[in-house]
Amino acid sequence: MSVAFKSAVDDGVIDELRAIIGDEDRVLPNLTSRVNRTRVPAPFPVHRWAEFMPDVAVLPETAEEVSEVVKLANRLRIPVVPRAGGTGLSDGAVPLRGGICVDVKLMNLIHEIDLTDRTVTVGPGINMLKLNEELHPHGVFYPDDPASYPCSLVGGRIGTGGWSLLGARFGHTRDLVISMQVVLPTGEIAEIGEGGGRKLRKSSTGLTLKQLFTGHQGTLGITTEATLELFPKPEVEFAAFFAFDDYMKAYRTTGALTRSGLATLAGVVLFDEWKLRYLRRDDEAYIPQPDWVKAVVAVAMYGSRAEVEPASKRVMELGRADGGKYLGDEISEGDWASRHDRYATPLHGRTRDGQVVPMSWHCEDAALNYSVLPKVREEWHAIVERYIEQYGIFDDWGMFCYTNGAHKPWGDYLVEIDVGIWEQRLDDENWAGWVACKREIAEVALKHGGSITACHGATREGDAELVPTEMGSAWEVVKRIKAALDPNNIMNPGKQMMDEAYE
Amino acid sequence: MADYSPNGDGELQREFVEQWRNNAFGCFSSGHKFCREVCPVMQVTRNENHTPTAFHANIVAMERGLVSVEDVADDYVHCTQCGACELRCPNTLFTGDFYRHRTRTVDVVKAMRALMVATGNERPGWKLWNERLAEGTNEPVLGDVPVSQEHVRDWAEGLDLPEGGETILFVDCEAAFYRTSYSRAFALLLQKAGVEFGLMREQWCCGGPAAEMGYVDLARKHAEHNVADWRAVGAKRILAPDPHDYIAFTEDYPRMFGDDYDFEIVLGVELVAELVRDGRLSLTGPVERTVTYHDPCRLNKRKGVHEPPRELLRAIPGLTFNDVDHVTQWSYCSGGGAGLPVEKPEITAEISRRRVERAKALEVDTLVSACPWSERPLSEAADGSLEVLDLFELVAQSAGIEVGGHSQGPAAAATEGAS
Repeated sequence: MSVAFKSAVDDGVIDELRAIIGDEDRVLPNLTSRVNRTRVPAPFPVHRWAEFMPDVAVLPETAEEVSEVVKLANRLRIPVVPRAGGTGLSDGAVPLRGGICVDVKLMNLIHEIDLTDRTVTVGPGINMLKLNEELHPHGVFYPDDPASYPCSLVGGRIGTGGWSLLGARFGHTRDLVISMQVVLPTGEIAEIGEGGGRKLRKSSTGLTLKQLFTGHQGTLGITTEATLELFPKPEVEFAAFFAFDDYMKAYRTTGALTRSGLATLAGVVLFDEWKLRYLRRDDEAYIPQPDWVKAVVAVAMYGSRAEVEPASKRVMELGRADGGKYLGDEISEGDWASRHDRYATPLHGRTRDGQVVPMSWHCEDAALNYSVLPKVREEWHAIVERYIEQYGIFDDWGMFCYTNGAHKPWGDYLVEIDVGIWEQRLDDENWAGWVACKREIAEVALKHGGSITACHGATREGDAELVPTEMGSAWEVVKRIKAALDPNNIMNPGKQMMDEAYE
Repeated sequence: MADYSPNGDGELQREFVEQWRNNAFGCFSSGHKFCREVCPVMQVTRNENHTPTAFHANIVAMERGLVSVEDVADDYVHCTQCGACELRCPNTLFTGDFYRHRTRTVDVVKAMRALMVATGNERPGWKLWNERLAEGTNEPVLGDVPVSQEHVRDWAEGLDLPEGGETILFVDCEAAFYRTSYSRAFALLLQKAGVEFGLMREQWCCGGPAAEMGYVDLARKHAEHNVADWRAVGAKRILAPDPHDYIAFTEDYPRMFGDDYDFEIVLGVELVAELVRDGRLSLTGPVERTVTYHDPCRLNKRKGVHEPPRELLRAIPGLTFNDVDHVTQWSYCSGGGAGLPVEKPEITAEISRRRVERAKALEVDTLVSACPWSERPLSEAADGSLEVLDLFELVAQSAGIEVGGHSQGPAAAATEGAS
């Protein structure tokens, strides 16, 4: 069976979509609607923009509408690309083969707030900040807190398998979704949870399907409703930043903090020397540290006063035990509070000779065990350095390591190297250079027993080719599941090498 | 590659792209869309074409030959020029100081609308509106009822206001014809405090809305007229109670006239707050109402003015004030700005409906605003479920002033009078 089909959206399809949606304003085949549903914040081959446009965008309001659109697509073998916030740092929402973009932003209602069984049920188009504004009066909150907290949407968080800055304390997206409603690639609507009703957190009936439908990058269906966990709003937030004159001291301190057993620990972040150099050079908001500072460790805790206050004393001891210098309340509180706004870092790029140029931000996000962090750091910086030399359009913005395990912060990390890319200079040669750089970075992660991606998804050139390698003996299982659920390969085709399921 | 044909205005489009490409790329290379959830239009339509991000991305796409003005024109209609996106932009928030950069989105929308007019892609509603402005020298705020110079001072009936002088009161079109209680309240407060001021000899619309809709030549004609009128009477200070006029006088006019433009522009709400602070106005009359305050976009988001109105509300005895902070209100709007109600009245109505719902959740009986352009859509949305008052009207009441005039157009006032 051929899978490399060309999209077949013609006037007849548009008419059928209009019949399903029943509202001209929500079926958008016009050029600007397509142009603006192409890229995400990840580096984009802007010189090949037109290749990535969907043929039409639809803005459904109900699961039934999504279901009918997907049934149509399945019948006519048209690619379907789900899109929520379009804020991913990999290409999950980027159409590779045209088709129908199912944009869920209008499905942004809060259906139910259940303060007794502690759940909130929402549409996939709602943003977490907006959700929390509504939850605030009830004394509860939904703690999914990515850097993109003010703009990413619940549906995208589920589709990409999002990671939260507070995950060590509250869990990441997949831990926070109790159940969901999914439109399958063949158009049926399925309630996917642990078993039983949609508000149960644990069951052993049948198969546990929930995790299969988080982090599939839009390849197994479209979430149309989600029932999420509600937490008591924390009484206290505590943040502390420690400076070190040596990376290994900071690395050891990070390990000690994560092994401390403090249950209110929400996250630990390790900044390396490149990161500090970059912040000193180009971030006005960052209070410059003296030159002796070569690494920083940031810690955050959330919870009741009764827990956090005594725990904070232990954190201060551990932070200082191996030569760490506390950076003071102003930096600690301020820098932690600005954790979302900080994440957009354009305009910071510099060429080798110091010229400021508008650069787009690439964030590598491998998952790696604690033991290999120092080694990977060296190898990654060396790779980026080579590409900076050769192409002149990249910039090394340093590395962060973030605790990665939900509720178990000690063993593995989301390891980020940030690379600036001067998109205005992209052409085929420079883009190929970038993809090669990415692939080398990913290969290092795999060599050290890591994963290409902790949360963004391996949906891009440079990453995607390595998915079968990373999955290893499980790749066969992946392919069987994909082929069984999506017999015609219509759901976000071309992503993660899943075409191999149809060979 | 792209399935369109250029519309024959390539040179103008090229100049536009040249002017805005770097500003656009500052957004495009970030692409993080923090602006999306604070944008009042986007909150209603949820259509990614209507995001500030798209307004910039379209320019990059235009540079690449992917889209023409015609393709993107409708996107740029979906904006109230409230400025929330610029405030929420990480570029402005964080790297702004370092590089002296502010993401300019309101100016981009204005420039694109000007390009739409120049290339024959103007919108019919705005075209008609500005044709009527050109005929009547004031905005056609009374619908089918024409406005004219003959009636531009009707609002001041019985106030015995002089013409000319060093200090000139500029009265907005909406406030001169539709919500005259607003202008009367302001003028009466000033009279009570002993502030001397006069009216213009011939007051045309400030031209700001025309500029917001892309009619730059018409806007300039109006600006030139008004400035000439000010000069003719030797004016030095211009009192601008209306926030929209204040934007025109402090942003558009200086750009047009450069160094020659040396008038002191006084914002109405700041002046009244100062008069109360200095004891020149006494707010002694209790006002038994429970109110919340709507931060008008052009005060709060465009000019950073949010404290003087709150100071005034707190100074009124008897008032219960359930406030919502001005940063939360970055994502609030009435939808009344930048011609949106002319082209997309249904979106304006929905933005106002949501704003009124938020007010109702605070269990207030009155929503106080400080901009007449917001008060019409908000009043229509409230539909009697709560009262929409202007801050000046409320302050005047506390100062013991009988305001008079009408708050919802002369027609409604006539009906009220007959009943």
